[in-house]
Amino acid sequence: MRLILKMTAVSVKMFMRQKEAVLWSILLPLFMVFLFSFVSFDGLGTISLGIVNHSSDTTLVGFLQPIKTLKIFEGEEEQELTRLREGDRALVLIIPASFQSAGTDSLTLYLNAERPQETQAGRVIVQRAVDEMVFRRHSVPRPTLRTESINSRNLSYIDFLLPGILAMSIMNSGIFGVAFGFVILKKRGILRRLLVTPINPRDFIISQVISRLMVLMLQVVIMVVAGMMLFELHFAGSLLDMLIVGVLGGIVFLAIGFTLSGVSKSEDQVAPLANVITLPMMFLSGIFFSRSNLPGIAHTITDFFPLTYLADGLRTIAIEGATLGDIWQQVLGLAVWAVVTIALAVKAFRWE
Amino acid sequence: MSTVLEVQNLTKRYGDLVAVNGVSFSVNRQEIFGILGPNGAGKTSTLEMIETLRPIDSGTVMLDGLDVTKHPQKVKRIIGVQLQASAFFDKLSLTELLLLFGEMYSRQVDPLALLNEVELKDKAKSYVTDLSGGQKQRFSIAAALVNDPVILFLDEPTTGLDPQARRHLWGVIKRIRSEGKTVVLTTHYMEEAEELCERVAIMDNGKIIANAPPQELVQQLIGKGFKKERVERLASLEDVFLDLTGHSLRADQ
Repeated sequence: MRLILKMTAVSVKMFMRQKEAVLWSILLPLFMVFLFSFVSFDGLGTISLGIVNHSSDTTLVGFLQPIKTLKIFEGEEEQELTRLREGDRALVLIIPASFQSAGTDSLTLYLNAERPQETQAGRVIVQRAVDEMVFRRHSVPRPTLRTESINSRNLSYIDFLLPGILAMSIMNSGIFGVAFGFVILKKRGILRRLLVTPINPRDFIISQVISRLMVLMLQVVIMVVAGMMLFELHFAGSLLDMLIVGVLGGIVFLAIGFTLSGVSKSEDQVAPLANVITLPMMFLSGIFFSRSNLPGIAHTITDFFPLTYLADGLRTIAIEGATLGDIWQQVLGLAVWAVVTIALAVKAFRWE
Repeated sequence: MSTVLEVQNLTKRYGDLVAVNGVSFSVNRQEIFGILGPNGAGKTSTLEMIETLRPIDSGTVMLDGLDVTKHPQKVKRIIGVQLQASAFFDKLSLTELLLLFGEMYSRQVDPLALLNEVELKDKAKSYVTDLSGGQKQRFSIAAALVNDPVILFLDEPTTGLDPQARRHLWGVIKRIRSEGKTVVLTTHYMEEAEELCERVAIMDNGKIIANAPPQELVQQLIGKGFKKERVERLASLEDVFLDLTGHSLRADQ
């Protein structure tokens, strides 16, 4: 026991002295959050509308222009239709030469068939602008719609992103750290050197796992604290719950790391394997963007990714202040993964 | 003289290859015993079986009265091992590494005394990666001494070292023996074996083909009528090299 504690302390010390490792696991995630905090996603929700006005009446255009959801381009008919075909416009509105705001001449609206969601919304908006024009002219009495937005916590993209990045860095330091670390220990003969001492090899593994989990907990605390101080993270949950879920996820990814180090002989073999496992999860587990846009089957498959469980769990705690009971599905998912991956690691791990 | 290591009919097979083929020898207490032989002769496999690193296919190894197959844990406590590629953790100073190795034997060690033993006291705070080849080998001997072992096993301790570093290491090994330890080493260098070893076993193709004190083996050869074609020179190129670059260790060694 004393030896395990001692080796754990030594491992943490070695980790802290490895500047690259500290950089990767603690500063890099923060830096990514920092970078993404500058990214504006306002442009993502807009609908591009080309307007070709053959008339001299600009009333309708005047009604359309202030609508924020629309990104309006005015141009020649041929040019705008080309843009539509090339996919640069969701809709193109043609206003005929004879158009008058008081008249009844038809307008033509071309829709980009490949962007049904945008064109549907754009069509309603254009129709609404036409109606508004008519209402204004006739001063038709009508009920008004008073809107009020309720979003007491005013969540931002950072609130979504930060727990995701945290989950991702837990995955990366678990898988890459252990897989590379142990392949190097094996290749350089350090494990063999330990095997001629009377230590129980299992104690060494345990100390490695504990020290890595301690670093992981440090990652969680630093991310949450730095998020609140630097990025206005709205952290509503319990830090302890974050740590528990983080450690559970960490165990899964450490076990994957041990498995990979068991099946590979050199760093060259570890790298592609680790990438094959981590890259799809990084992009499909809802780290940077919500998974809600994934098509049905992909959504169902990614539901079961360990990184999805971890990211969703951490995020729900952070944003909604959920307790472990509230996210029992994620906790259960990670626990099942932990059992599976530990079994794999025990089977695959080799000392030499 | 009492026997501290007794190896009998030791055999190791890798598939069809018989790497160690019925090897027997014994090592006396406080002796420096050399195992010589070309690459692939089975020296390292023999050592690794004695050191509990490899399962013994057949034969017995008795180490200070302990059967290696039956009591590997007890054997590990009384041996010190320097492996051919002895690597250590990065980012731990020599002192910290020795303390850690001491913990593995549940021992309180005095790192400075151990480093002093191998003349590395002034490197106590360095990392292994900052050491020269000779210093690394000497450190790895210090690490093998943390448990005050009965026998010290050194696998090609001087391979890849320059002449000064090699001579320096010889001095260290002789001193360790004079302090009561038994040393078993493998080497490719005959002058090293002549300089250090009381007795040598020469291995080839997994078998021991000679086992005697170096001088005796030389006499046997001369007795067979062997004569070197050239007259013995009074000095060799190595002597020139050492004369020009200094016999003793330089600061960076």
